[in-house]
Order: sequence, then structure tokens, then C-alpha cells
Amino acid sequence: MKSKLNFLIGVSLKRKVKTKWFVLANLLIAIIIVAAMNIDSIITLFGGDFNKKTTIYVVDETKESFDIFKKQIEAPNSLIGETESDYIVKQYEGTSKKAVKILEKKEEKDNVVVHFKKDATKTLDVTITTKEFLSTSDYTVLNNAIQNTKVNLSILSSQIPVDQLNAMYEQIDIKRVVLDKNKKSEEESMDMIMTTAFPILILPFFMLTMFLVQMIGAEVNDEKTTRGMEIIISNVSPKTHFFAKVIAGNLFVLVQGVLLVVYAILGFALRGVIGSNQIPGGAFDNITSVIKTVLSSGIGEKLIYIIPLTLLLMVLTFIAYSLLAGILASMTTNIEDFQQLQTPIMIISLVGYYLATMAGVFNGSLFIKILSFVPFISAILAPSLLMLGQIGIFEIVLAIAIVIGTIFLLIKYGLRIYKVGILNYSSSGLWKKMFKAIKDK
Amino acid sequence: MLKVEHVTKYYGDFKAVDDLSFTVKPGEIFGLLGVNGAGKTTTFRMIMGLLEPTDGSITLDEKKIDYSVTDTIGFLTEERSLLTKMTVKEQAFFYGTLKGMENDNIEKRLNELLEKFGIIEYKNKKIKELSKGNQQKVQFIIAILNEPKLLILDEPFSGLDPFNVELFKKEITEMSEKGSMIIFSSHRMEHVELFCKKLAIILKGKSVLSGYLKDIKEDYQKKNIFVKGDITKDELIKIDGVVDVIEKADELEVKIANRDIVPQVFSKIKNKKNITKFVVEEPSLNEIFVSKVGESYEK
Repeated sequence: MKSKLNFLIGVSLKRKVKTKWFVLANLLIAIIIVAAMNIDSIITLFGGDFNKKTTIYVVDETKESFDIFKKQIEAPNSLIGETESDYIVKQYEGTSKKAVKILEKKEEKDNVVVHFKKDATKTLDVTITTKEFLSTSDYTVLNNAIQNTKVNLSILSSQIPVDQLNAMYEQIDIKRVVLDKNKKSEEESMDMIMTTAFPILILPFFMLTMFLVQMIGAEVNDEKTTRGMEIIISNVSPKTHFFAKVIAGNLFVLVQGVLLVVYAILGFALRGVIGSNQIPGGAFDNITSVIKTVLSSGIGEKLIYIIPLTLLLMVLTFIAYSLLAGILASMTTNIEDFQQLQTPIMIISLVGYYLATMAGVFNGSLFIKILSFVPFISAILAPSLLMLGQIGIFEIVLAIAIVIGTIFLLIKYGLRIYKVGILNYSSSGLWKKMFKAIKDK
Repeated sequence: MLKVEHVTKYYGDFKAVDDLSFTVKPGEIFGLLGVNGAGKTTTFRMIMGLLEPTDGSITLDEKKIDYSVTDTIGFLTEERSLLTKMTVKEQAFFYGTLKGMENDNIEKRLNELLEKFGIIEYKNKKIKELSKGNQQKVQFIIAILNEPKLLILDEPFSGLDPFNVELFKKEITEMSEKGSMIIFSSHRMEHVELFCKKLAIILKGKSVLSGYLKDIKEDYQKKNIFVKGDITKDELIKIDGVVDVIEKADELEVKIANRDIVPQVFSKIKNKKNITKFVVEEPSLNEIFVSKVGESYEK
């Protein structure tokens, strides 16, 4: 004879997965993920070019600004690990009027003309000419380079000896010391990167939580509103039914999670085939930066236990969410009521998501550390703080223990509510009934 | 045998069932009657093991009803209890498997019953696409799919046309003849009268009348006399013991307080002309029900 628990799990899973809507939704998700991972190539396909460098034509009437300005512009940006400048600086020998005319050509429309003239009072008089508006980042780069050029010219005119001048320009070798031995200086750049890249990495967890809660709520309510529940519960115990829903929900999340990973691999594979033109500062760029930073910071060695512990915490949190969704769904009499009741779950999850993405901003405050132990949000907040070095492995283990405790309580008391709730069709005196159910063994 | 002994059920301070007792033997069809909210559904839920009685006991063949015996019970609820997104076949396999049936057995029995009820063409149709009557047929088929030892039917004829009512009656009678214990609840007293040899009328959870239908009718003092001929309502109502006279299309229905009044009515009409009918009948179950429940019964 078939196990009724296994049978119910199979039916629940089949009802969710073997539908044209599941196939259609996944087709759309796959397209979106693959497209998002190759967005640079898509933009390139429509005429964008992320590798195209901006040419700066310099008309130098001062005869001494060009070299200094060129050096300033083409200096590698060591702060963000860039080794190559995004600009080409060319000296234009003609007049500024002729130089400006270059910009009227289609292929030159994104380039810039910088005109240096001597000024008796301010050292330099500079005009920047472009065909269209200049981006903020380009303007900042140009402005900084011009300012530095002006300072350099002033220093030169003050007739400082060459040796002294060279010493002034020499790159300073900054030694970084962090007194906390548990922290590595390389981890400092994690804050910035985590804020931009982590939301993308934890988004699937957030999405799957929503899928899980929705699935369990809809199924329990469907069986309740059609009164099919009476027939089901007259043949299997509420406990079996409850666990069947929880297990089926989590298996569904597993299937959907695996599919998301498959779509991501497909996206990567496509990137490999068609090549990439990474958008500077884009999502993909950030994720790559996270991986590089993690590996360079030495956290990579810790990943052997960080990843399993994080996955365990996430699996346990999924179980806790599914138990809570089942209990809440049993208390409601229709899907509309459930949707209202699930709003707090959504908010809790959303708060966890935002706190995790902004974890670096809180700079290791006690408040955020305490929140990282709170069940339902610890699964995304605790790993985030761990990556930032704000908490250690012990705290993660503690968060896991708290989630296990929560699951135990949800099973012990939630099952009592579930037993009463699934056969309750009236919302009058609901809370009284539920509190009574908790007290009754 | 199903034994319901001194069962009481409280919901908080509200007493839904009050010291209810009855038995149903194999082959018996038992009618459980009562107005809405009388406690019928609570009683059925307790029999099915969905609710624990506050007091008293319910046993099937001397054993407490739990999940070890529910595979031998069939239950048709008053409201549709079908998962409407499933097809008829999926639904049958779903409930059949939960009843511990094997796939081959479910398929064979389903085909047999779908043929019998004339809906074999709907086997692969979604339940939500079926008419109300056909949904009720599917619900009934699923309730009897496992050839239950105990069958609980809560308003089985709801939404059915007279032709299908006959089909249901035939099947219920056949099951009873094969030895199934059947508990039957309906608001249509003529249905209960046709089936149930034994019944209980409950009011506010308490049994106000129970026993064999024949005995109940015999014990009920009030009788009805149907008269056809040249006599008026006014002449009959004057007789002591005549409670009421109802004018029907071509006859009069004389309601008398007890059997002793019959000779007086007869002596009054025997000299009248054109008397073509004088029949003394037992009161209908509906009358007994209304009288016992003490309020108008909504048909």
C-alpha cells in the first residue's frame, strides 16, 4: 500500500509543477535571467559599445599643459583596480574652431575638445566642448585633471628644483595596519561591493520564500474552500497533511532553486559563447568583484564551512517559513484572508532583505548583530554580516540553533492550531479558538 | 455495528450535541433528521473522527473510529467536497488512494460507477466544468468508491433531478442489501421515509424522537382521514377531536387528534351522498417532524 504522506507530497508537487503556468513562468524567468546576465551584449547588439574609449582632443595654446593633462587623464585608477584608462588624449595642432568641427562627425559625437589658454590671473583658461551633454563621471575626471594640471603648472612656475619636484610626484607607498587581528585590510572594500552586489546574490532566496508561502497558502485554502479538506482529513491525520504540505513546498522550492541555478549557468555559458562587454559598475561587474575580493581577502579558505552553514541556515529558514505559512493558511477561510495574513511575512522577509543589502552601512552596530539572530531574517542577514567580517562562525551557529528552536515551537504549537484551523470555516472568535487550540494538547 | 453512545459535544460554552445515542446495524439505513444547526454535521464529523466528542463514545464494530478504520468508511458531505481543478479521474484516484485502494481497483470501480450513473464521458473532464447535478454524482461515486462498510450521506440528493434521485436510491438500496451501514440525512422527508426504517430527530443537539419509523408512526396519535363526497369542511370541523380540515383539489384531509375519533367522523359522513373515498392514513414523517421540532419546516 502506498504511503499516504508520500502520496500527498507527490500530488501537491505535481499540482504545482505539472501545469502549463509553471512551464510558462519558468520560460519567462529563464529568458529574464539569461538576458540580464548578457545585458551588455544585448545593448551592444543595439549599437552600444562599452569598450569604446572617449577621445579628448586638446588644443594647447599654453604649450605646456598637454603633457601634464595627458598624464593626469591616463593615470590608472588603482582605487577601483582599473589598469587601463577609458580615455585617449590627443593633441590637436589646429585652432579650437577646427577642433570643435571634428565633433560634428557621427563617429566623433561622444568625444571631447579641451581648449587650454593662458590666463593672467588664474593661470589657465579652459573650455570644454562636447556635441551632447557630458556624463557626471566624465566631467569629474576632466575637472580633476584640469585642476591638477593647473596646480602642476603653478608649481613649475615657482621654479622648485627638479629633485624636489620628482619627490613631490612620487607615488606614496601607504602601509595599512588593522589592529583587530581577525580583520584583513582587503576586506575593507567589501562594504561597498556588498551593498551593490549582495542584493543580486540573495534575491533568489527572497523570491523562493515568496513562492513557498504562496504555494502552501493557496493549496491549503483551495482544499478548505472546496471542503475537500473534510474528506482528506477523514482519511489522513492533520499531522500527515501538514507535513505533506511543508515537504512538498520545500521540494518545490528546491526544484525552482535548481532551475534558477541552471538558468544562471545558461546565462554564463551564453556569455562565454558570445563574449562580453562588461558595463563598468554594472551588476555582473560587481558580482565578479565580490568573487575576486572574497578570494583575495582569504575568506575563500573559510568558504568551505561558510557555504554549508549558510545553506543549512537557508534550508532551515525555508522550513520555518513553510510551517508558518501552513499554520496561517489553516486559520483563514479563503485565499483573500490568507493574502492579508501573509503581508506581515512578506514585510519581515523584505526587512531582512533590505537589512542584508545595507548591512555595511550599519558598521557592525549591536542592533544589526542582534537582528541577525532573529529567525526568518537571519538566513540572509547573518551570512551578509559574516562576509563583512562583522560576525563570526559562532554567531552563525547560534542563528542556526535559534531557527531550529523556532521550528520546534512551530511544530509543537502550530500543529495544534493546524488541527483546529483546517476544519474551521468561521472567522468569528478565531483568535480565541486558536489560543484554546494552543492550550489543548 | 455503529454505536453512538451518550455523545455530547461542546464548542466552548455552546452545546452542539447533547447526550445523543443510536445504533446502526449492517444492512440498516438510519435517518438523522434535524433543522439547520441541529447538530447533524457535528455528529457526522464525530463519527468520521474529525472531532473528538466531549463525552460519550462512538465505535464501529466495537472499535473506536480512528485512521485504522476510516478506509472502510464513505462520506458524502452536504457541501461539495471536490477539488474542482482536478479531473473526475484524478479526483477518484486522489480520494481512492487516500482510502488505501490500489490503482487497478480504483480504475475498475470508477469505470463501473461512471457507466452506472451515465457520466463515463466526463471521466477526463475537470470537475469545475461539470453541472451541479453531475458534480453531485461524482461526489457520490467517490463516497462509495471503496464499497464502504459505513456510508454517511449528508443531503445526497441535493441538486439532482428526479431521474437521478432514482439512480441514487437504487444504488443506496443495493449497498444496504449488501450489508453496508448507511446514515442518511436529508431535508426531504419523503426521501427519508422511503429509505429509513430507523431514524432519530434531533433538536439543538438533543434527540427528541428516535426508533423504527413504523413504531414512530404508530405511536404518533394524530392521524389523517381523506374524504371525497358531498360534505363540507364546516360540517367536519365541528366534530370533537377533529383538529383541522384541509381542502384539497377534490377531497378533504381531516386531521384527527387520535385513532378513537375515526368512528365519529365515519358516522358523520356515512349518510352523505356520493362518498367515494374514506381512507385513514398514518401521518407523514414531515408532519411528525414539524410537530416534534415545534416550528415550521422549510422544505
